[in-house]
Amino acid sequence: MSNKKKYSMLASTAAVAFILAACGNGDTADTDNGTDDNGATEEEVDEDANGNGETADDGPQPIEFETRVENEGEAIDGGTMSIGYVSDSPFTGIFSYELYSGNPDAIVMQYMMGALVGTDENYQYDDSGAATVEVDQETNLVTITLQDGVLWHDGEQVTAGDIAFTHEIIGHPDYPGVRYSSDMQSIVGMEAYKNGEADSIEGITVVDDLTLEIQYESVGVQMLQAGGGIWAYAAPRHYLEGIPVAELESSPEIRERPIGFGPFMIDNIVPGESVSYSRFEDYYRGTPNIERLELETVPSSTAVAAMENHQFDLFLSMPTDQYENFENIPGYSIVGRQENAYTYIGFKLGEWQGAQEDDEGNVTEPAQNVPNPDAKMANKNLRQAMAYAIDNDAVGARFYQGLRSRATSPIIPNFADYHADDLEGYPNDPERAMELLDEAGYEDTNGDGFRETPEGEELVINFASMSGGDVAEPISEYYMQSWRNIGLNVQLLDGRLHEFNSFYDRVEADDPNIDIYQGAWGTGSDPTPDGLYGRFAPFNYTRWATEENDAFMEDMLSDEGFDVEWRAGVFREWQEYFMEELPIIPTLFRNEVFPVNNRVGSYDITVGEDPDLDGVGIHTWYLTDEDRATE
Amino acid sequence: MWKTIIRRLLLMIPQIIILSILIFIIADFMPGDPFTGMIDPNLDPAQLEAQREAFGFNDPLPVRYVRWAADALRGDFGRSFNYQQPVIAVIGGRMGNTIRLSLLSIILTYGIGLPLGILAGRYNESGLDKTILVYNFVSFAIPIFVLALLMVWIFGYNLNWFPSRGSISINANTTWEVWTSRLYHLLLPSITTAILGTTSIIQYLRSEIIDAKVSDYVKTARSKGVPIQKVYTKHIFRNASLPIASGFGFTIVSLFTGSIFIEQIFSYRGMGYLFLQSINTRDYSVIFVLVLFYGFLGLIGTLLSDLILMAVDPRIRID
Repeated sequence: MSNKKKYSMLASTAAVAFILAACGNGDTADTDNGTDDNGATEEEVDEDANGNGETADDGPQPIEFETRVENEGEAIDGGTMSIGYVSDSPFTGIFSYELYSGNPDAIVMQYMMGALVGTDENYQYDDSGAATVEVDQETNLVTITLQDGVLWHDGEQVTAGDIAFTHEIIGHPDYPGVRYSSDMQSIVGMEAYKNGEADSIEGITVVDDLTLEIQYESVGVQMLQAGGGIWAYAAPRHYLEGIPVAELESSPEIRERPIGFGPFMIDNIVPGESVSYSRFEDYYRGTPNIERLELETVPSSTAVAAMENHQFDLFLSMPTDQYENFENIPGYSIVGRQENAYTYIGFKLGEWQGAQEDDEGNVTEPAQNVPNPDAKMANKNLRQAMAYAIDNDAVGARFYQGLRSRATSPIIPNFADYHADDLEGYPNDPERAMELLDEAGYEDTNGDGFRETPEGEELVINFASMSGGDVAEPISEYYMQSWRNIGLNVQLLDGRLHEFNSFYDRVEADDPNIDIYQGAWGTGSDPTPDGLYGRFAPFNYTRWATEENDAFMEDMLSDEGFDVEWRAGVFREWQEYFMEELPIIPTLFRNEVFPVNNRVGSYDITVGEDPDLDGVGIHTWYLTDEDRATE
Repeated sequence: MWKTIIRRLLLMIPQIIILSILIFIIADFMPGDPFTGMIDPNLDPAQLEAQREAFGFNDPLPVRYVRWAADALRGDFGRSFNYQQPVIAVIGGRMGNTIRLSLLSIILTYGIGLPLGILAGRYNESGLDKTILVYNFVSFAIPIFVLALLMVWIFGYNLNWFPSRGSISINANTTWEVWTSRLYHLLLPSITTAILGTTSIIQYLRSEIIDAKVSDYVKTARSKGVPIQKVYTKHIFRNASLPIASGFGFTIVSLFTGSIFIEQIFSYRGMGYLFLQSINTRDYSVIFVLVLFYGFLGLIGTLLSDLILMAVDPRIRID
């Protein structure tokens, strides 16, 4: 599996609105119960709150999914397993961890590339992979030790030189990709290599065939985390060495016949459409049970129809907003787990300021987030009130059929040790919301039904939200209605939803017309939040920064953090502080679901589970019948 | 005539240039660039900015245009940001699929349209004519994406007669398998295109034939004793086919552009699919070349129509 450091912005869902399956969703009418009573008096609001409370109670509840499915039956010999990858963007065909940029390519690669280092349930490196990682905080030295007998698909041994090679590709002056990160730069001698001043990277030493040492300028505790800074991949040096780095990404060795050390080898590629694999007999964990894999991209509009026709054994990225159309299709069991992502509503609290330079061009102050104490949303009570006003339990249950649930923290529960599970977050409580507003002086002074600012000025809050998917519009309407019910005049930015690109363009540029916005973050596998909420993080789109927060970030990244328990404690305190300050309202945690055909012997998506257990590692998958089960 | 063709071709040059400038300006209005949404907190903004700079997104519009045009004249249309390949290679990889789809669609369109039009015209007011007219009105009224979705749903998913997506099976290995698999995947989308393409052919052909039936030259031919079959093939059809022949050039163009919808719905990876994909991801270099290509096709189509008309109708001479 690929461990991506990459945070990602998440668009809602499909770009194309052609949905084949019937999608009669009577439940969404639920949001209407607010639309009728526009001039919300307090009484009506109370009724409304009760009403919402009831619908949440007797409506669908958040669904708890099994992460493992087992089907009875003897394993057949070999067989072909088909995987349907639901995606509206086809894979581009760059099969190299150094060079790829789109997630579809990572999906195709995961069956053949092989994971170098395994991870545990917190996405921390452990010894379950082909190699182990040791971080020495005293000497800033990282040691990667390979197992003996890990082979590339052409029979060559995977060596420490191959791990060095992947660094050499990324550090190469001609390297065209985007993985030359600040962590890469902190390898001793990397910059000289990048500038072409050195022929090799000084800090990378191949000790022997199986041991590699990487000398960093400094190491941090987040490096223990998959994707936390160590580039734990290998590239076949013997196979790719002759190709100039600039030409790698268009070379047939990457695009047409890539090799890895994973359980399956690529047989055939139909660009952008499908890939077939055959098993790699010499896979270091043992020969896979299944003989052939076939993977095909399926557009989200026809995913449900493909499932009804039993076209695949396993569906990846099944669109959750169509859940009710596929939850009961016979022949399939559905496993699910929490996605490494959350949806949120952010408050614009300041501006991004570019680096300040003096006359000689020296940077006097680095680029950073500068909060504006007079910002429209700068009042903490206002932010908290807006959080109490909305019922995310109902949103998760009603709009997402229980596949999403109210978020309680910016650290997702998948980071089990770091997520503060005792936080309650902001359950729906309109009364509390109004108290908070009254307390802060937001009152309706001119009788128009909406509250004014404490200074007596009219308060209109502009809400930016993204288009895409069936529920984007009703959810935005629901939120705005809920805020109107506590007397806040919230308007859609420009009166409409915005397409993904223009939305993030404007959010990123601190468009002064945006006061609040709804977005989503993919978190990757490193819980450290400095990249999203730190003072110097450009992706901290709220532009929120406080000294307390700076201190928390510093602690999280400090050497003391090698004491994981202590670090987890800092995370918990930070979450408490963050949820009190509330620069964003984390709104929804999300589930991802995987329909599995009943002829698949076992399938297990538990995070950090032992890869040799049946159903976990790809090589352990097996089928119990020649034909796909239809019931 | 050659003088005309050359003059028309020369005239295309300023047209193409104007078109390319327009595309550049309009594309500049599109929010976002290929880097929007592709973020990594490890990349400091300077790195991202450096990438933007390297791709030239920060230069003023005229500078970008001149640079692009200069490269294009040398045959270098830039690199696709999505695919990390030269644009020509990306489009070239898809073109085969689209051309195959277009060819089969044209064959089917005329294969269905011509006989139906002739039959309807020859036996007008008969039961057959009325049936054909009903078919014609339905195919005229139904939007392309509705019909395409219905076709996928009925023949792809419910009856399972045809594959519902893709252009070839992953298991096709030998040449024979490759071509039969391709044909099998082509049938449903091209039949869909053909059904919609026949509308105007049938309509024109039918009314022309009905008109011609009562015209003087037909009466003359009949009174001379020319057999009815021969009157139809030699006299009526030739005259009636004029408007269809003149539309042929445009038919070819519309098959390329119309395939945008068909390819999207059938998940058929051709140029149309690539076009939508590129717009969504702001893959400018691909968008430019495709729009230019479609524009160029439009010009060629007009020219082609004129030439065909000239060939079939001796009364028309272009000087």
